[in-house]
Amino acid sequence: MINNPIIQREFIGLLRRWQTIVMEAVWLAALATVVLLRWPATSQVNLSGQQATDVLRLFGFTLLAGLMILAPAFPAGTFFTEKRSGTLALLLNSPLSPAAIYWGKLVGVMGIPLLLLISSIPAAIACYTMGGVSLSRELLPLYGILACAAVQSTTVGLYVSLRATSVEAAMRTTYSILFAVGVLVLVPSLFIHPDTAGLGTPAAWIASLSPVPAAMHALGERHIGGRQTGEANIMLHYIMAGLLMSAIFAAATIRLLAGRIFDRPRASGKITDDRSAGVKVWRRIMYLWFFDPQRRTGLIGPLSNPVMVKEFRSSRFGRSHWMMRLIGGCLIVSLGLMLAASWGAMNFTSRTLGEIIVLLQVSLIVLVAPTLSAGLISAELQNGSWQILQMTPLSSITIVVGKLLSAARTLLLIMLATLPGYAVMLIINPNQRRRVILALVCLVVIALVSVLVSAAVSSLFRKTAAATAAAYAVLVSICGFGLLAWAGRGDIFSASIVRYCLWTDPLAAALSAVKAPGFTQYSLLPANWWFMAGLGVAALAVLIWRTFALTRAR
Amino acid sequence: MSQQTVVKTEALTKKYGDFTALDNLSIELQAGQILGFIGPNGAGKTTTIKILVGLSKPTSGTASICGVNCTVETRKIKRLVGYMPDTFGLYENMRVREYLDFFGAAFGIPRRRRQERMNAAMDMTGAAGMADLFVESLSHGMKQRVALSRIMLHDPPVLILDEPANGLDPTARVEMREMLLKLAAAGKTLIVTSHILPELSRICNMVAIMTGGKLRAFGSIDQIMKQVRAKRIIEIQLLGPGDVPTAAASAAALENASDVRPAEAESLVRFTTTVDESGLAEMLRQLMRINPGIAQFREVPQDLEDAFLSVTQQTQMPSGTGGES
Repeated sequence: MINNPIIQREFIGLLRRWQTIVMEAVWLAALATVVLLRWPATSQVNLSGQQATDVLRLFGFTLLAGLMILAPAFPAGTFFTEKRSGTLALLLNSPLSPAAIYWGKLVGVMGIPLLLLISSIPAAIACYTMGGVSLSRELLPLYGILACAAVQSTTVGLYVSLRATSVEAAMRTTYSILFAVGVLVLVPSLFIHPDTAGLGTPAAWIASLSPVPAAMHALGERHIGGRQTGEANIMLHYIMAGLLMSAIFAAATIRLLAGRIFDRPRASGKITDDRSAGVKVWRRIMYLWFFDPQRRTGLIGPLSNPVMVKEFRSSRFGRSHWMMRLIGGCLIVSLGLMLAASWGAMNFTSRTLGEIIVLLQVSLIVLVAPTLSAGLISAELQNGSWQILQMTPLSSITIVVGKLLSAARTLLLIMLATLPGYAVMLIINPNQRRRVILALVCLVVIALVSVLVSAAVSSLFRKTAAATAAAYAVLVSICGFGLLAWAGRGDIFSASIVRYCLWTDPLAAALSAVKAPGFTQYSLLPANWWFMAGLGVAALAVLIWRTFALTRAR
Repeated sequence: MSQQTVVKTEALTKKYGDFTALDNLSIELQAGQILGFIGPNGAGKTTTIKILVGLSKPTSGTASICGVNCTVETRKIKRLVGYMPDTFGLYENMRVREYLDFFGAAFGIPRRRRQERMNAAMDMTGAAGMADLFVESLSHGMKQRVALSRIMLHDPPVLILDEPANGLDPTARVEMREMLLKLAAAGKTLIVTSHILPELSRICNMVAIMTGGKLRAFGSIDQIMKQVRAKRIIEIQLLGPGDVPTAAASAAALENASDVRPAEAESLVRFTTTVDESGLAEMLRQLMRINPGIAQFREVPQDLEDAFLSVTQQTQMPSGTGGES
C-alpha cells in the first residue's frame, strides 16, 4: 500500500512548492515565538508545574489553531485540479482502483500536516523538559487528537475537492465545514444544560465532533463542551467521532470516484420564464420572484459597475438566492441567541454575551472575507479570463472598485444579519448603547480591512488556493498577534508593550469596546481604527498598483 | 472591397533578454482580407498577436490598426480589435446571455443596443440556442461560438482568432469556416492562426509563414504557391518494384533533377526540379528512352501544407545537420 505511486507524486509535489517551505518556516517561527512568550523569565522553575502547563497550553492551542487553518489548504484543491487538468480520468483509467487512488491522495496530502506536527516536537520537548507536564496524560493525547483532526480535515477536503466546481469553491466549502465541525457544533452544548432530558446527551455527542473540547481537556482546560460525556471520555469520544466522520467522508469520496464522478449530465439551463404557467407561478411564489435562481436576469444597467455585477453573477454567494440562504443562516443563529437569552437558558451577562457575539462575528468575517476576496484577481489569472478582461476598455480603477464592492457588499449584508444579537445585549442592559455602537464600528472596520487585505493578497498570487490560504494566514495573524502578546502579559511583555500590540489588533479593540473580561483596562480606540485605516489604505494601494500592472501591456 | 490598409506592422521586434521572439516583422493587411498566420510552436505568432491587441509592447518597430498605434493608444485598440485567445476564459455560474451582457457592458454598449448586438452576434455564430445555458456546461465547439459572439459584440473592424478550429469536430469546423468567410464578406479583417493548414487554405486569401520569430513568406496564397512551385515535385509511377532502381538512376542522371527518392514498395520514384513544361517534356522523353516500364509521369499537386513545410525546411537547413539528401 505504501508503494502507491500517487503517494510519492503527491507528497513530493507538495514539498516542491515554495508555499510549503514558507508555511513550514512560518509555522516553526510561530511555535518558537509561542513557547518563548510563556517561557519563565527567571531562572527559577515553579515546582507545582504551573509554568510548564501554561506554556504547554498556549503551545497546544497554537498547534490546534494552526493545524485547523493550514491542514485543509492542501487537500481542498487536490481532486479538483486533477479533474480540471484531465489527469483524474487518466488515473481512473489506470489499473489503480478508486480506493488505491484515494489512499494515495490521502496519505500524500496527509504528509504535510504530519510534517507540521513532527516539526513541532522540539517545542513540545522544551515544554516537557520544564517538568510538570505528563507525557502519557497530556502530550501524547494532544498529539493523538491533533493527528485525528488532521485526518478529519484531509478527508473533508478531499471529498469537497472532488465535488467542487472551482478551487475557491472547494476552499470555501472545506473551511466552512471545518468551521462548523470545529466551532459551531459546540453551540448546542453551550445552550443545553447537561442534565436536560433527551437533549443533553445528543448535544454532547455533537460537540464531540469538534477537536477543541478534547484538546482543551488534554491541556487541562475543562469548561467547554462535552460535559455530559464525563471528563475522562471526552478525548475517546472525539477520536471515535472524528474517525467515524473521516470514514464516512472517505467512503463517500471513494464511492464518487468509483463511477459517479464523470457520470453527470450537463446543466440543462432551464429558465423559469420558459416553463409552464403552473411551474412559473409556483417558483415565483416560493422564491419571492426576485430570488429565483432560474429567473432570466436583466441586462446590466448604465449606472452599475459591470465588474461588480459580473462578480455577483459568477460567484455562488453573489447570487441572490445563495446570499439569502447565508443571511438567513446568520439571522437564525442570531435570533437563537436572542431567544436563549430571553428564556434564561443561559446565565450570560451582557459582557459575556458581547464577547461571544464579537468573537463569532470576527470568526465569521475571517472565515468569509478570504473566500469572497482572495479569488478576485487570482481566480481570473488562473483560469485565463484576466486576458479577456484586459481586452476590454475597463480601467484598472473600475475593475478594482467593482471587485471590492462585490465582496464588501456581501460581507456587510451577512454582518447585518447578525445584528439581533446586539439587540439582546441592549435588552439585558440598555445602558450599553455606546459600547454596542463602538463594537459595531470595530466590526465594520475589520470587515472592510479584511476584504481589502484579502483582495491585495489575491493580486499577488496566480493560484486561488495559494491566495486563499495566504489571506487566511494574514488575517489570522492580524487578529491574533496582539492577543498573543496579551497572553504573555506580565511574564514576557510589560503592560505598555502589550497595549501597543493590542492597538494593532482589531479583535482586541472590539473586545475592549464591549468591555469583555480581560480587556476592560485597555483603551484601544480610536488608535486601532487609525492603524486599521492605514493597513486598509496600504492594502488598497497594493491592490491598485498590482491591478494596474496586470492590466497594462507588458 | 476597399483597399484601405487596416493592419500594419513595421520592423516589429520583440526581445526577452537575449531571446528574440519576433524579428523585424513587416506586414500589411487590407479591409476584408483574411490572413492565415502559420508557423510551428514558438514561431512568434502569439507574440505578434499580443502586440497587435495591446497586451504586449514591442522592443522596437511599430504596429497599427486602422491607423491607431497599438502600443501607445491601447484603449482605442481594444475597441478596434476583437481578440479570441486559445483559452476560453470561463466565468463560473454565468449563463451565456449574462456572459455576453457583461462584455457588452464592459465595452460601454448602451442597454438597448446591447440586446440587439447580443442577438445579432449569437445569430451569426449559431449560439442563439445556448443563451440560457451555463457557460461551464458548454462543449468546446459551443464555447468557441460563444467566444466568437463575444468578440463581435462591439463590432470591431479587426478580428484576431488564435486557433479557432482547435478541438472542433468536422461539422463544427465547416461551420466555423463559413462563419469566418461571412465575417470577411461583411468587411471585417481577420487574422487567424491555426495548425490545420488545409482548413486555413480554404478561408485565407493572405498567408504569413513564420519560423523562429522571422517572417519567411508573406503574400496571397497564389503568390506563396508560386514561390513554392518554383520547385516542382515529379512522380514516376513504374509497372513494378523491379523497375525502380533503373528509373532512380536515370532520374538522378537528369540535368535539372534533384532530391531523387525511390520508393520500391509503391513502385515510385520522386524527384524535384525547377524546369518549366517544355523541360518536363524533355525529361520524360529521356526517361522513356531508358525505362520502358514507366506507367505514369505526373507532377505532385502542392498545397499550403507543402508550402509551409518547404519554407520551414529551408529555414532549418543551415542550422541543422545538413538537411536531407
